[in-house]
Amino acid sequence: MKLQLRKSIFRLVLLLPILFHSIGVNAQSDPTGKSAATQTYAITNATIVQAPGKVMEAGTIVIKNGLISTVGKNVTIPDDAEVIDGTDMFVYPGFIDGMSYTAAKRPEPMARPDNLFTPNPPNDYAGITPEHTVISQVDIGEKSISAMRKLGFTISHTVPYGRMLPGSGALLLLSDKDHADKLILAEDASMYTQFTGAPGSYPGNTLGIMAKWRTLYRNATYTKQHAEMYAKDPAGLERPTQDRVLGAFYPVIAKEKSVFYRTPSALHARRAMRMQNDLGFNLVLGNLEESWDLADAIKQHDAKVFMSINLPKEPKDSDDEEKTEEVAQLEARRMDFYNMYLTQYAGLNDAGIKFGFSSMGTSASKLKNNLKLIIDNGLSEEDALAALTIDAAELLGIDDITGTLDVGKLGNAVITTGPYFEKKSQVKYVFVDGDKYEYETKEPKKDGEAEEEISEEGMAQILGSWSFVFTTPQGEQTGKMIFENEGDEVIGILQNDDGTPDQDMNNISFVNGSLSFDFSFDGGGQSIEVVVVGDVTGTDFDGEASIAVFNVSFPLTATKDSPE
Amino acid sequence: MKGLTMKKINLTIILCFFVATFVQAQVEKGDVLIKNATVITITNGTLENTDVLIRDGKISKIDQNIKTPRGVEEVDATGKFVMPGIIDAHSHIAGSSINEGTSQVTSEVSMEDVVNPLDVAIYRALAGGVTSIHLMHGSANVIGGQNETLKLRYGSTNPDDLRFEGAPRTIKFALGENPTRGGRARGIQPQSRMGVEAMLRNSFSEAVIYKEKWDAYRADRSNRKVAPEYSLRMETLVDILEGEILVHCHSYRADEIYMLMKVFADFGIEKLTFQHANEAYKVAPELAEFGASASVFSDWWAYKLEVYYSTAYNAAILTKNGVNTSINSDSGELIRHLFHEAAKTQKYGNLSDDEALALITLNPAKQLGIDDRVGSIETGKDGDIAIFDVHPLSTYAIPLMTFIDGVKYFDKETDVKDQRIYIDPESPIAEVHIFDAEDQHRCMEGADIVHFSDLFNDSEE
Amino acid sequence: MKKFLTVLMTLALIPMLCFAQLDDGKKARAAKFALTNAKIYTVTNGVIENGTIVINNGIIEAVGANVSIPADAEVFDYEGREIYPGMIDSGTQLGLNEISSIAEARDFREFGDVTPQMQALTAVNPNAVAIPVTRVSGVTTALTVPSGGILPGTAATINLFGYTPDQMSAGSKGVVMSFPNNRRGRRQSQEQADKAKERNLKTMNETWDKAELYAKIQGSDDARYYPEMEALAEVVNGEMLLYIEVNGAEDILSAIEWVQDRGYEKVVFTGVQEGWRVADQLAESGISVITGPVQSIPTRRSDAYDAAYANPGIMQQAGVTVALRTNDTENSRNLPYHAGFAAAHGMGREEALKAITINAATVMGIEDQIGSIEVGKKANLFVSTGDPFETSTVILDVFIDGYLIPMTSRQLELYDEFLDRTPGLNKTKTITDG
Repeated sequence: MKLQLRKSIFRLVLLLPILFHSIGVNAQSDPTGKSAATQTYAITNATIVQAPGKVMEAGTIVIKNGLISTVGKNVTIPDDAEVIDGTDMFVYPGFIDGMSYTAAKRPEPMARPDNLFTPNPPNDYAGITPEHTVISQVDIGEKSISAMRKLGFTISHTVPYGRMLPGSGALLLLSDKDHADKLILAEDASMYTQFTGAPGSYPGNTLGIMAKWRTLYRNATYTKQHAEMYAKDPAGLERPTQDRVLGAFYPVIAKEKSVFYRTPSALHARRAMRMQNDLGFNLVLGNLEESWDLADAIKQHDAKVFMSINLPKEPKDSDDEEKTEEVAQLEARRMDFYNMYLTQYAGLNDAGIKFGFSSMGTSASKLKNNLKLIIDNGLSEEDALAALTIDAAELLGIDDITGTLDVGKLGNAVITTGPYFEKKSQVKYVFVDGDKYEYETKEPKKDGEAEEEISEEGMAQILGSWSFVFTTPQGEQTGKMIFENEGDEVIGILQNDDGTPDQDMNNISFVNGSLSFDFSFDGGGQSIEVVVVGDVTGTDFDGEASIAVFNVSFPLTATKDSPE
Repeated sequence: MKGLTMKKINLTIILCFFVATFVQAQVEKGDVLIKNATVITITNGTLENTDVLIRDGKISKIDQNIKTPRGVEEVDATGKFVMPGIIDAHSHIAGSSINEGTSQVTSEVSMEDVVNPLDVAIYRALAGGVTSIHLMHGSANVIGGQNETLKLRYGSTNPDDLRFEGAPRTIKFALGENPTRGGRARGIQPQSRMGVEAMLRNSFSEAVIYKEKWDAYRADRSNRKVAPEYSLRMETLVDILEGEILVHCHSYRADEIYMLMKVFADFGIEKLTFQHANEAYKVAPELAEFGASASVFSDWWAYKLEVYYSTAYNAAILTKNGVNTSINSDSGELIRHLFHEAAKTQKYGNLSDDEALALITLNPAKQLGIDDRVGSIETGKDGDIAIFDVHPLSTYAIPLMTFIDGVKYFDKETDVKDQRIYIDPESPIAEVHIFDAEDQHRCMEGADIVHFSDLFNDSEE
Repeated sequence: MKKFLTVLMTLALIPMLCFAQLDDGKKARAAKFALTNAKIYTVTNGVIENGTIVINNGIIEAVGANVSIPADAEVFDYEGREIYPGMIDSGTQLGLNEISSIAEARDFREFGDVTPQMQALTAVNPNAVAIPVTRVSGVTTALTVPSGGILPGTAATINLFGYTPDQMSAGSKGVVMSFPNNRRGRRQSQEQADKAKERNLKTMNETWDKAELYAKIQGSDDARYYPEMEALAEVVNGEMLLYIEVNGAEDILSAIEWVQDRGYEKVVFTGVQEGWRVADQLAESGISVITGPVQSIPTRRSDAYDAAYANPGIMQQAGVTVALRTNDTENSRNLPYHAGFAAAHGMGREEALKAITINAATVMGIEDQIGSIEVGKKANLFVSTGDPFETSTVILDVFIDGYLIPMTSRQLELYDEFLDRTPGLNKTKTITDG
């Protein structure tokens, strides 16, 4: 059962040439000199992975006016094309993120209403706003757009922030445009829902959320009948009152729109399937982190799946040589479960369940590494690529316009310096909607040497003390980042000027001028992980600190202190 | 199936709502022959040197020297005691959330939505001979949520596998300190036992009006009729009025117990069990006359004002006054030794062995409406059985095996320590929690140990 | 005369046998008592079949099979009955906690982290409703314990009969300390818990450093009055017990090391829920243990379901002196059942009985006064129809400090009033015809 996007997408595809035509007509001057001189690109002599398993060596692909116009071996390159020598490069279909907050800006926390303790608190506080659309949260300045694009993602099914029923999701092109509307591939693409209660108010938890959901849905079933009856023949019939919340359910009831449930845990997924069973809507399980026991249930409920790319941290076993048998056994079981997280993707695939990926809650800096881990644990590169491209497109019902590098599809492509999943390969170009984005790549130092092997000299560049400035909407935080040698390892500490306790850095990496590390702080009982990634130029560090759980990132810059 | 909550609504609507086929979980049924045991049947005395044969999950024969059918596993229980699986009429294990305490009436919510089959407490209860529990909503609101009756089929990750298929629906109500404390904390009604009664009467009166509207709608032959507003909350209250849902009411004081019986008499609601009911002994004749049941603690008292005037002789006084009484745990600790809690009625009131054991088997089964299936060892009933090394009313008794539907879910011989089903890879190896009795009796219940957010937060996430 | 009395007593016993019924006498009585023909579990000197105990002036004057009964003694014929030393619950809040949900009815917790001078004995309410409820079950003595900060106060051992705290005192006290741990509280992150532990360890060590200094200069002209240190100096000087509440395996090991470093001698560990994990180290340290509740869920989700039941037995078999507690207040009466569970799960009945009698007395340093049935000890004992660990056993009589205690409590009074209520249904209209 496909998502009921077909119709609107179809119309959109028809419109596309017209849109591009108009761009040509309304061309404007650009004093920055950054606009492209042409809308035609030819990548030549590249390894073209048209679709998973369909590889063309030394091929040429032409992207013209936003669409793939030619793919082949002996291709005549259009005169107006900018030619990119694709020798040694790999071209893939643009990746598709099945459920994320990419490009959406988290709204300000809502004030507690005065009438918090009524059985029916205001809908917006209760989180019941299915009539809203994510478009109102889309902010073209969101860094997540460029961060995800840099990894090769060209389309995101973006859903709104909120509580129980935040609103409808949209399919967005992750391009660099001057207006949010220009990112929209399809509006109103899904009804997004999650098990998130209203603090202190009804519905407060899973119990109330599930009951409220049923109540809304069933009520909508009746009001929909009423509205349809009235539309046909209003004479003598009580006029239906407008209820936009219930109205939002109508396409779901008619199965013209799917329900995207955010279901990180297996129990969440079971509950979503329970709702589906009771009410009968089309279900998509989004951001699923624990799928290994669910294959049968997923098939039974005909649910679609977007798996989370978030993986737990690898457990560290105690290095105590005298650890007890009991501890050794418990560690072994814990490791077994860690491995379940890693191998479940291959498991789903073996069970014949087609799935895509959802980047929600995964920091961009970890994403590629996690994909690599998933592949190392049994999912073939081909299947991983399918999940990123054609399978995701099919699940979203947009495989007629994207998901493969076939002629006539959207000009969405990723071009890398080597096979994408190889660690040392780098993204060189990303095409979104026919627009080219180029990235700096760095030559590996020596052939065959793994990149993350940090040379002594390289690391030496960062050793010492740095003064950092962390800019958040709440103000600036300053302090020191200190990197020191401890034996063979480099350790780092963050010292905050405001007196909050020092934080140890984890996973410090400094490769090709790019410095990254993460640290955790205590956010009122919850450990919150912050990932810092940026570039070192001389004694300056220009980076970004992202907090995946909140899906926010803020600039963090630092200057190396001169030695005294 | 209990999941279908809308029995009375007409067929078209049922079709409209339940387009998807309900997938009934396939639970495992076992065959076993328990040989040569002392069999405490509860309903038919105690039988020495007796065998119990379970075929396809049901007790098929109780006799001496039963020939072992081919392919049936034999358990030698010589010198051992066999009793019906223990039933806990008040439990909060195996629930991801307990209280939707954000509103004073939440009859629309149901614990069946939040069953957590991964809770290690389930295994620990099995190791105490327990086979069925009544997973209850909390007591933060006057009309709380619907409960779920479960069989402790531990090991599955599918909540549906634990449902007691065919058990009647039940709902939690709450009187006294807990709901009024919520009222005071938020500046709303009820803040007194007067307000609790008023809220009950208001709710049922509204439900009567709701039902009238829907009845009129259904009776309307016009094909251009407009449905009244649908409310799952009101639907549930109507189901209570129609006797389809058994009410289990958290209560302590005699006056509030008496009040609820009067309210129910006025609305014609008959199926009523008082939970905790520490002062039920004071109105035992009234309870007996009404036909209400009581599910009580063996000896908990004094942790709040409304249980200060308690007596551990409560169960005995109720039993001797003809009130169907059970002893429950309301605790992940007590549930592991309900046989011992029942045994305390021999100290407090001198109940007979059968009377004492009925408190944790047949009587709670009646309160949950499942006594045709479980609660005694009788031919045709479910193969839910506990085997003990000595008489289960002895303090020294240790449960050896626990069967549900003839399938063995606990065996002390082959017990494996670490019974977690899911393990968080990011969890530490040594995470120590020190048991605190205070947390046990009170976590969902009462007093100021409870943090306000417990009234609405999920426990697992 | 003697025979007449015996007949009378036998008659008086009949209702008691039925329902542990109310004694007519509501007041305790002291006299010269002779308890005859009973099976006596002395705990320290085996079991005496058909034995006699003579109680005079609150003290056991004679015990044995061939004891001559003084002519002026009131004789109780306990033929077929069993007599045990009064049970000792080594951890409760009896007298300090009347209704735990009501702040005004709780007196076990004072403001501050370091308040060792706070005396539990001062706040014991001799008329707490739970006290008679407890003692009619055969629990005659309890350690009542303040809780709260790092050093919440001084616990006291009390006999569960008396009208003033001094009448109740069993002559043993101990400063209570909660050994710092990093267990997460509700809504606390692991980081916060780790920091709290570090902070508390620092406070603990600085406090004891000060106490040691104070103990040295105490009494000199320069010493200031410092009530907290006064209390701790007694521990430093070896005059006062120190009860250290410690539960996690790692914490127990740290606490052993801490005690050894400090060199304090009169130390008892309490709680010790993970004692089984480090039983050998505990045994080697020679530190005695009060553990419980036995009816308790395991400390770790990965632990065996019966880890808490088996804990006392494992420690005892490793050679640790183990006493038991309920860690309860209103249900301290369940002490024999906690012991019964320990017995069934590896400790054995004899050792479990010791754990709630002589071991408890020994741990508290009052084994010369209570904890067994021996000549010269206080007459704290009870008479039962059988094994007190079994719930079918009826406790017939209880003696505390030589007083014959009235076998009544509010719970029994309510039973008596409501078993067959008057009026029943008939006084008012029935509820269904309203």
